[in-house]
Amino acid sequence: MAHQVHAYHMVDPSPWPLTGAVGALLLTSGLAIWMHFHNMTLLTLGLILLLLTMYQWWRDIVREGTFQGHHTPPVQKGLRYGMILFITSEVFFFLGFFWAFYHSSLAPTPELGGCWPPTGITPLDPFEVPLLNTAVLLASGVTVTWAHHSIMEGHRKEAIQSLTLTILLGFYFTFLQAMEYYEAPFTIADGVYGSTFFVATGFHGLHVIIGSTFLAICLLRQVLYHFTSEHHFGFEAAAWYWHFVDVVWLFLYISIYWWGS
Amino acid sequence: DPDDIITQIEMLDEGWWRGVGPDGEYGIPTDEEQATGLEKVIMKAMKQGEDPFNMMKPKHYAGSKADPHLVPSITNKRIVGCCVCVGEEDNTAVVWFWLHEGEAQRCPSCGSHYKLVPHELPH
Repeated sequence: MAHQVHAYHMVDPSPWPLTGAVGALLLTSGLAIWMHFHNMTLLTLGLILLLLTMYQWWRDIVREGTFQGHHTPPVQKGLRYGMILFITSEVFFFLGFFWAFYHSSLAPTPELGGCWPPTGITPLDPFEVPLLNTAVLLASGVTVTWAHHSIMEGHRKEAIQSLTLTILLGFYFTFLQAMEYYEAPFTIADGVYGSTFFVATGFHGLHVIIGSTFLAICLLRQVLYHFTSEHHFGFEAAAWYWHFVDVVWLFLYISIYWWGS
Repeated sequence: DPDDIITQIEMLDEGWWRGVGPDGEYGIPTDEEQATGLEKVIMKAMKQGEDPFNMMKPKHYAGSKADPHLVPSITNKRIVGCCVCVGEEDNTAVVWFWLHEGEAQRCPSCGSHYKLVPHELPH
């Protein structure tokens, strides 16, 4: 153990920030090459490098925290601040798309017919699949809270069951939304309605997939006994992220699906 | 602690135990059982009311000659920032100075007493 007089974690040198940066560079330039020259090599390389980076970086964090005990109370506090700040930045990300939606829908231009939804657009019925999706995400919010309490109370079996249920609900939402996308009578190319609808709900869907993945990692770690009844910040971070995803959906539902129809 | 008793304790392996918590729940370890490394050292110290890594606010002292601020140090000097002065109307700055081992020194601004106290490097 390092001889230090403070409770903080001076992380060992790591190659993952570099590989991550290179991966991001290959991903972005690869995207441009793919779009102009129909070649996927750079893109694939970037994707693989990025996935490898994420796996190894986060694996190292689990090693440092759970296996080596570096996540002391002040370190954990820092991680909490970090996750909250990250989620806040994501809130602003979505705020932009809501701004775009309201900009176009509050004062629809003559080209759209001066109305919203624009002339020729048949919006989805908010009381059909979108309402089911709302119920599914709200239920998953309940099950993830149930999982948290199970962990805190030391009940392993319940924790695993409720966390699994949360993830299944997440998959169900993704499946339903994918069906909606396939069956929708309008596309992303259908004017500003299509753009705002699919970009906002599309990024939300991506975040549902990210959140489900994070929860799945937590399930694996829970099965492997990583979490203690007092110290399980990885799970808390995943739960915060999941609640954020749920709240974004509620705003999407009210604004775009309901008011916007 | 009656609320905290673990029962049906069995040893699965060298250093690996299992028990049933007070409300009948089981399967998830506690920090007591599973914490390791620096986290464990700090947990044990906090249980005994100690703070070897200076995580908490410094203890409160009167700052007089009889009750000087005790400042732990792993060497023979440490920088001190006197905040006693920061309560006065015009003072908005912390007064910084080196505190050396030996007799208590006084803050050049407000005169509070500070004394260096040797502190073991926690391993």
